[in-house]
Formats: sequence, C-alpha cells, structure tokens
Amino acid sequence: MPGDALLSVRGLTVAFNGVAAVSDLDLDVMPGEILGLTGDSGAGKSTLGLALLGLTRPPGRILRGRAVLEGTDLLALPEAARRRLRGRRIGLIVQSPRGALSPLHTIGAQIGGVLRAHLPLSRPEAAARSVGLLRRLGLNDPERRAGAYPHEISGGMAQRVLIAMAVGAGPRLLVADEPTSGLDVTIQAAFLDELAATARAAGSAVLLMTQDLGIIANYCDRVAVMQGGRIVAEGATRAFFAAPADDYSRTLLSLRQAAPPPAPAEAAPLLRVTGLCKRFRLRGSGKTLQAVNRVDLAIARGETLGLVGESGSGKTTVGRLLLRLLEPDGGEILFEGRDLARLPPGELRRTRRRVQIVFQDPQDALDPRWTAAEILGEALERRDPARVAELLALVGLEPGDAARRPRGLSAGAQQRLSIARAIAADPALIVLDEPTSALTPLARVGIVRLLRDIQARLGTSYLFISHDLNTVEQLSHRVAVMYLGQIVEQGTREQVFRAPRHPYARALLAAHLAPDPSRRRLDRPPAAALEGEIPSPVDLPRGCYLAGRCPEARPDCRSTPQRLLGLPDGREIRCLPEAERAGVLPDPIPA
Amino acid sequence: MSDAPAVEAALTARDLRDGAAAPVPDRLFRLGAATVALSLVLMVVGPWITPYDVGRPTDDIAVPPPSLAEVPGLLWAVLTGRPHEPVYWFGTDASGLDIFSRVLAAPRADVAIAVGANLVSLALGSLLGLLAGTARPWLAGLVMRLSDLVQAFPVFITGMILVTLAGRSPTTIVLTLALLYTPIYIRLTRAEVLTQRGRGFVDASRALGKREAWIALRHVLPNALVPAMIQASVTVGFAILMTAGLSFVGAGVRPPTPEWGLMIAAGADGIVQGEWWPSLFPGLAISITVFGYAAFGNGLERRHAR
Amino acid sequence: MIGFVSRRLATALVQLVGLALVVFFAIRLLPADPVARLVGLNASRDAYLTAQRSLGLDRPVAEQFGSYLGVLPGSSGLLQGDFGRSWVTGDPVAQEIGRVLPITLELITVSFVLAFLVSVPLGMICAIRPGGAADRATFAYSLFAGSQPEFWWGLLFIFVFFAELGWAPAPLGRLDPMSTPPAVVTGFITVDSLLAGNMAAFRDGVHHLMLPVLTKVFVLSGPIVKMVRQNMVRVMASDYVLFAQASGLTPGRIARIALKNALAPALTLLGVLYGYILGGAVLIETVFSLGGIGSYAVRSVLAFDYPAIQAVVLVIAAVSLLVYLVLDLLHAALDPRLVG
Repeated sequence: MPGDALLSVRGLTVAFNGVAAVSDLDLDVMPGEILGLTGDSGAGKSTLGLALLGLTRPPGRILRGRAVLEGTDLLALPEAARRRLRGRRIGLIVQSPRGALSPLHTIGAQIGGVLRAHLPLSRPEAAARSVGLLRRLGLNDPERRAGAYPHEISGGMAQRVLIAMAVGAGPRLLVADEPTSGLDVTIQAAFLDELAATARAAGSAVLLMTQDLGIIANYCDRVAVMQGGRIVAEGATRAFFAAPADDYSRTLLSLRQAAPPPAPAEAAPLLRVTGLCKRFRLRGSGKTLQAVNRVDLAIARGETLGLVGESGSGKTTVGRLLLRLLEPDGGEILFEGRDLARLPPGELRRTRRRVQIVFQDPQDALDPRWTAAEILGEALERRDPARVAELLALVGLEPGDAARRPRGLSAGAQQRLSIARAIAADPALIVLDEPTSALTPLARVGIVRLLRDIQARLGTSYLFISHDLNTVEQLSHRVAVMYLGQIVEQGTREQVFRAPRHPYARALLAAHLAPDPSRRRLDRPPAAALEGEIPSPVDLPRGCYLAGRCPEARPDCRSTPQRLLGLPDGREIRCLPEAERAGVLPDPIPA
Repeated sequence: MSDAPAVEAALTARDLRDGAAAPVPDRLFRLGAATVALSLVLMVVGPWITPYDVGRPTDDIAVPPPSLAEVPGLLWAVLTGRPHEPVYWFGTDASGLDIFSRVLAAPRADVAIAVGANLVSLALGSLLGLLAGTARPWLAGLVMRLSDLVQAFPVFITGMILVTLAGRSPTTIVLTLALLYTPIYIRLTRAEVLTQRGRGFVDASRALGKREAWIALRHVLPNALVPAMIQASVTVGFAILMTAGLSFVGAGVRPPTPEWGLMIAAGADGIVQGEWWPSLFPGLAISITVFGYAAFGNGLERRHAR
Repeated sequence: MIGFVSRRLATALVQLVGLALVVFFAIRLLPADPVARLVGLNASRDAYLTAQRSLGLDRPVAEQFGSYLGVLPGSSGLLQGDFGRSWVTGDPVAQEIGRVLPITLELITVSFVLAFLVSVPLGMICAIRPGGAADRATFAYSLFAGSQPEFWWGLLFIFVFFAELGWAPAPLGRLDPMSTPPAVVTGFITVDSLLAGNMAAFRDGVHHLMLPVLTKVFVLSGPIVKMVRQNMVRVMASDYVLFAQASGLTPGRIARIALKNALAPALTLLGVLYGYILGGAVLIETVFSLGGIGSYAVRSVLAFDYPAIQAVVLVIAAVSLLVYLVLDLLHAALDPRLVG
C-alpha cells in the first residue's frame, strides 16, 4: 500500500529546543482521500502539518525523517525548490479564513500574488484572472470586489476566497489545520462542505487536522490519532468509531455512549423568566441593538436547560441578565419566589449568591494574584480551611492546589476551581456560560463528567449556554434555541435534537456534526440550508427575523411579529406556519 | 534620549496586553536589578562614603586618572592603607575636585529626584487613572482632557521653563517631572482599570454579593497597578536623563551640587583640548544606571507578560 | 476621509488654544521676577518701575492676556499671528523663531529619517527568529541606545572624531565661520546651498551635520528598533504570513507584505516620538553650539523672556501636532480599516 500513497511520511522527528514535538512518525495519505488527524492540544498535529510544508517555526527544527510526495522528498529539497512546490503541489488552509488575508492588501492583489507565484503571468493578466476567479465564486460585481479589503467582505466570502486561493494552482495535497476553530456551527459546516467539494472536484487529497471528532466522523475517509508526537491509532472512519483503538479516542467517545442524564423529579420551576429584554445603545450611530427580545424560559430544580445559538444570538446576555450583571430593560426573573429584576441593590447582593456563574475563559475568571484557597475563601461567608479542602476534593483538585495561583494550574484545573467557587456560595442555579469551549477535548470530557456528578449529588440546576451542540446534548434535559435575541424553539432534548421544527433550529441541527459516522453529512443530501448569513441585530424587521433567509417564508411572515407558541407535544416554537402545521391556531394578536 | 517615556509607555502597555514581550536575557535582567539596587544604596549612603570632600577642591588641578596598568598597584596600596600620594581614581577636574567622590555622591541628587518624581506621579496618576476608569463620563472625560493637555506640552522645554522660573531647587524639579509624567500613569492605569473591570473575576465577585468599592480595591486596583509599576522602573531611568539634561543646559540644580549632568557640562570645554576624564566618568555613570533601569523594567515586563 | 481630517485638525486646534492659555498664566504664577532679571538686582526703584511699565507688567493680568491674544483695540497678538517682541533683543519673536526653527527641523528630520532607515532592517532581523541570538543582541542594543544621555555621547564623538581623529569640524555651529552662507530661502542650510548652487557651503553644511546626526541617530534607533521589532514579530506570527508562505510566495514578496503591516501601525508612535525629539533638541544643540530653537529656548528661559518662552512652547507644540497629524493620516491611508 505505501507504494500507492500520495504522501508518505517516514521517521519524521521535529524538536523544539531539544524536546521532540513529533517523534519518529510514519503516516500515509492516499490520493484523493480526506484523512482526519486528531489528538489533544499539544499532541503535535500543527507541528507535523507545518513540517510537511517545510515551514517549521523557530526554534523548532526537523531532526530527521522523510516526507515523500509523489516521489519527491519534500524535506530533502533545498528551500527554494520546496517553495516552488508550496501552493502548487502541497497547500495549506490556516485557522481563521479572514486572518489568512493581509488586512492592508486588496483581495485582488492577494489572489494575483498567489497566482503569479506559480504561473508566468504579468500583473494585468494576474489581475484579470483574479477577477475571473471571483466571478466563478459567484460574487456579483467581481471587478469591484477585487479592489476590496478583507474587512469589507463577509466572513463566508472570505472563506471561499481562501479555499479558491489554496486550491487555485491545483495542489495534490491540502493540509488543513483546525480550519474551523472558533466558527459558528452553520458556518463551519458550510466551510467544510465547500472544502470537501472543491478538493473532490480537483482530485486533491486533504489532511484535515482537528480536535473535533464530529468533523472527523462527517468528512473523513480515514482517521489517524496523534498523541505525544506519534500516531497511536489509524483506520477507516466507520471501523474507528465502532471500536476506537486508543485510550484518547475511547475517553472522548465514552460520553457519546453514556446514558443521558437522568430526568429530575417534577417540581415547581425554580426559575421562571418572562418577557426578558435587553437593548444596547450603539455608540456613534445612536442606533439600538436588541440583544435579548422577550425571552421566556423556566428551569426546574435539578434540571439543566441548554441554551444554544450562534454568536450574536444573545445567549450570553441572557445568562448575565439572570444575575443582573447586566440590568434588564424589561421582564421578570422569578427565582425562589422573588423577582430578581426588581430587587433593590442591597437585597440583590444577598440573594444573588443563590445564582452563580461560570465563565468560558477560566484564566480570565480567576484573579491571577490570588491563590486557590483565597479564591474559594472569597465565596465562603467566613474563612474555613476545611470547607476549602472539601470543595477542592469535590471538583477533583489536589489538596496541594490550595496554595497555587491560577497560572500554576492547567486550563481544565482552572475551570474546576471556577466551578468550586460557584458551588462554595451554595447556589440553587449555576449559569454555565460556555464553560467547556476554551478547553481541550480531554479536559472537556472531565468537566462534563464533573458537572453531571455535582448535579446528581447536590441537585443544582444549570443554565448551560453553549454553541457546542455535542456538549449540550450530553448535559441538557431541555434545550432552547436562540436566534437574534429570541428563543425560536424550546423543548426536551430529544425533541430538539431528533426532530427540530423551527426552520432555524432545523438548519442549526442539520449543520451539527455529531461524532457518528452512520449519518455522515457528506453522504446526506444537502439539507434545506438557510440563505445568506445572520443579519445584524440592529434594525430588525417587524415580522419574523428569519423571514429573509427562510425557504418556507410566507408573505405574512414578513409582516406579523412572531410569538412563541406551545405545541401539543409540549414544545414551543416561534413560527406561525409550522405551528399551524402542527394543528395550533393562535389567538388573534391584540391590536 | 531624554524624553521618550510616553512612547515607551505605549509600547509597554501593548506588550503586556498581548504578551509579545521583549527578549531580555536573564543575565541582563539581573544586571539591571543589581544596578537599580546599587543606585538606590548610593542615593542613601553615597555622600557619606566618598574618599574626598565633594565640595572642597584638592591641590591637584586637572589630574588625569591612573592608567589601567597602575590600577592594581594603587588598589593594593589603598587596601593596605599605605598610598604614597593621594589617589584620584577618576582624576580631578579643572578646579581640583575629586571626580570619583562626586560621581559617588551624585545619586543623592539624580536618583533621589528621579525616584521622588516617579513616586509622586505614580501615586497621583494611578488615583486619577482609577477615577478616569470608574467615574461618571463627564468627570472621566475632564481628567482625560486635562491629561491630554499636559501631554501636548513639549516635555524638555516645559521642564526647563517650570524649573527655572520656580527657582531651580531639587523640590521644583521633582514636582515638575511629576507633573510631566503623571499623564503617562493616568493613561496606563485607566486603560488597565477598564480592562480589569470587564474581566470574569470581577463579575464573579459581583455574583458573590461583593460591593463595588470592595471589588475596586481588592480586584481591580491591584491588577491595574502592575503595568504602572513596571513602567515606573523604566521611567525612573528617563527621569535621571532629564534631571542631568536640565542641569547640563543650566536649567537644573545649581552648582556646586555634585550632580552628573553638571559635571559633564563642567568638563565639556576640556573635551576639545583632549581632557576627556571630567566628562567621561559622570556620563558613564548615567549611561550604566539608566540602561540598568531600562533592562530591569523590560525584564519585569517580560516576566509579567502572559 | 474629510471628516477624519477635520476632526483631527479641530482637536489639535483646541489643544493649541488650551496650551496658549496655560503657558501664559503658568509662567506668571511662578515665583520669578523678570523685571529684576532684566534690570539687575542693584537697579534703583525708578529703573525697576520704568522697566516694568515698558514690559507692560504693571497692567492687570487680564489686560496683559488680552493684548497677548490681540483682542484689545489697537494691539496685535496671537490672533494676528504676532508673538510680540523679545524683552531681551527687542526684535519680533516670530522673526527670531523663523530664523532658528529651520536649523532644528533640518537636524531632527534628517536624523529621524536616517534612524528610521537604520532601524527597520535591525527590527526585521529580530523578527526572523524571535528569541534567537540575533534578536537578543539587537534588542539589548536597542535597550542600550534608547537609554543613553545624548549630550554625553555628543561630547564623546567630539572627543574621538574632532579632538583625536580630526575627521569632524569643530563643534561650533552650523557652518564654518570662513564659509559664506547661502541666501536664506527655506532656512535649511543644505537645501539653500543646493538651491544657490553653492557646493562648498553644501559640503560644509553636511560636514557640520555629521556628528550631531550621528548622535541623534544612535539614541533614536533605540525606541524605533524596539517598535519595529515588536510589530514585526507580531506580523510574522500571523496567519496571513503563514498562508503567504504556504502559497509559495517568494521571501521578498512576503517581506513586503509583512513590512507594510508592521510599519503602518508604527506611524502613529513615530509621530509622538518626533514631537518628543523636537522638544528635546536643546541638548544636542547646546553640545554642538547649533543656534536652533532649542538654544533659543534656553536663552529665553534663562533670561525670563516671557514673549519668547510663550512662542517657543506654542511653535514646538504646533509643529509636533502637525507632524503627528500627517503621520496619522498616512497611517489611515495605508490602513483602510481606520477610515469609515
């Protein structure tokens, strides 16, 4: 088989200041395949990818090994010769699409520059070709767009320009290093669809490096797992997910098989929010941004409500409004019988301890000058070393960590400390604002287990805010989907994940990449995707906010404000046509 | 250069933010720290440990320093207490004053003025910066506009004017430098207060029911002061340059105070005739001291950068 | 773009007005007696009063300010572009500054441009291998150069290049006393001598500029190298440079992309730096006996010549603001994100 390989890496070793980041690594990439390369942060994936292109960054050095691409050992070539192969035989897709374009140069000049690096073109010829390429990408007025700067085009357009540039000279192998980290779910799927389609059409193989097993399951033909600079497992995607051969993948996939969290006993809701609103006044223009718009939600004791949505949907703002870290402009926050939205400051300070919050970035959430014991002490009513030790043990930290400052702890341990601080205040509800998003996959598994464990032991309720649908599915009993400041669908975890009804929820869940190769996105017919991108939450339309992008929009959708309507199966959706289809006839809206 | 502290401050603030810190080797940082410590010690004890009286001329006019070959022998003689004739390590100047003694005594003027000025402006600037970062918009705006106005003044010339018209005493120099440097600390602290106020641990503290004033004092201010303190060690160096520069042009402390800038000025005329030593040694002292403060400050910055 | 420019201009103007106000009152609040300085301590009471009247210091401060601004009937002041007359020489201050300012601007601008040209490659070398030996050495140099007393280095250079080697001319002004200065057009000796076709004066002018410029370039290279290095390190670690490398672009083309991205944000700081250097020109002018605005400032300050002091502060602040504005606009022209 190695004889047929497009790229065959043998014995590659890359070291940073004498420490090997990639050690004695063997890997084959077959022609035209998409090979997924996964592994935790620091496993050496990026180092490998850059080494293949001969772009190891100082102080890293390639100590030995071969990387033979179609008979040429890339690593044995002199730099000038290797440079000529870059882009033409082997290309790279970097992390953020917009970051890959120089902000001070026009799109056309950058495309032209790449073309001229490989083709004997004059400047005007390259410019003409750039315009042609933009036209093929479906941009209207490509001549004008060629003169635009990266910040003037949309994110989606930047992605397509980037892929077109990387594939432009027809490389046989594309190295894609976490190409979608930090992107929203729907944008991520669109990007990967485009990448896969373009590569297929050009007959290029892709080495796709990602921590996200969902991406691997949905797009890759084969998988390789890296750990400590070596490949520890390799195989066809289906076989891999059926029985992962290595500990790392087994740990990550263990949560997939774990039973869903047990449903809590039915009780009166702990928290009931009605009509919650928040507007921000934009500086300069004087316009207002409707960040949260008439949000209703309820959480029972011991229950987790997952709040999902893409960036700008207002989900984080909802979390902050519940604690009145931001002042709501309207609505009620009934918590344990009191309306938090109307409590006077003194009483609010006392009551607020019953609602705690855990943030996305644990390093930002912990005062760098304080030790773990001091941080926990801040949350306790009085100094109590025994209680501190108890809390540390509860979240799985060592007793010795009490004297450490945040910088001496790993990101996962920092987040555990953050959770311990929240628990120290003895809250009934914890707002978890993307608590797993800044962590490596392994640390994420640990935090998910910890959160389940704490809920089982203490009966704490969670509002779990995340854009990571996999984690939401692992933790939530019920799920609410937000779009442009509104909840558009709310129901049980099964209802929302198995059969979403609101068109936006359907599009969002269709773009969800579950770590399950049985329903690969590549093999699925393209679901009803929404057109365009999320509009700005300034100057929102009077009718349904999705109407402009919805394939099923009716004329009255654009003129009628949509309300959250209860369906017979218990869920609520903000879509009149869909509710009617489910047999609900809403009361006429009072004029 | 006598007057780049504002540029320096802008660079420091940005580097601390994104962690692209200066590559100060450990050895350089330790050398800087040692220089800073030595300068502070001399500021206190310098005038008491001079071999000759700094104000009374000796009988030897314009004696050059011993050549390097003579130094070990002289050192032995001095250590064993039996020099045959007076030893002037750095020579004597045109009026017969021992240069080594005056170089040792000068930190009492240069370093004390620079440190004093920075303590005053650090205290004033960080308080005003905290105010500008937390007060109502009109008040914060007022503080910032005033700070902008002070920064629009050309530093060295304004220093010259204020010091000269106010009488050229060390206190007026301290107050003048303090006034000119305060905007730097206001800016640094305000920017940092605004950053720290938005951080997660501040919100977490609010969620725990802490009062705003408690949070400002326990979380915001201690973290916001860090860049200002780091900046201070670099700015002390610049203040030494400015103190010496002012007296060099005749707008600083008055002779016969032992002060590096005055000594360089006094020796300047001799340079053309080849009498290099009266200016060389005080200049070397400034050069090493200020470089030491810069290495120390930049090293601290690197150590603090995330 | 026009809104951008006019906003900046308006801010600068407001600052200048504030500056004029503060300078005027600050120097009158300080415990200095310009009359005594002018007539001497032993002067009779009558002589003192006569001098006080002739300087206009017997009038109420508000009235003095009015005539300084030029709002009183029959007086001419700032509003008419008149800085008044020097109390020492009796000549119009504007005329005197017109004579000395070009000398300073020539020295500072030449030094600034040369320092920039020297520093950019140094800063780029650092960024090739951040933390490497070349980076550490260059950075240590920039730290050193940026923390040096320039007046002392000027003296050292004089000792080496004039007293010992005899390569440089005596540090006694802008031109040799024997050579004929060119007719004043711009006030810049080098430019004027070229305009007049006077090559001897041009060579002499450049010769006299050599050491002061060397001194300035040395100390200026410190902060500029640091600035270029920090920006360049950032840019070289960016995704777009990585992508350009991975696309097979030549090192030269990548360097051009990186340089533009690294230098554009440095322009604003360079503007600040220029203002500081201009205000600090006193020291180098004193060392080399160059009769620029710095020397003029020293003379005026030591003589308590209030009209000259006020004018010096305003003129230097105005030139600094102007240079800052120009570099800021250049930055905006390079970086389309700043406008609109």
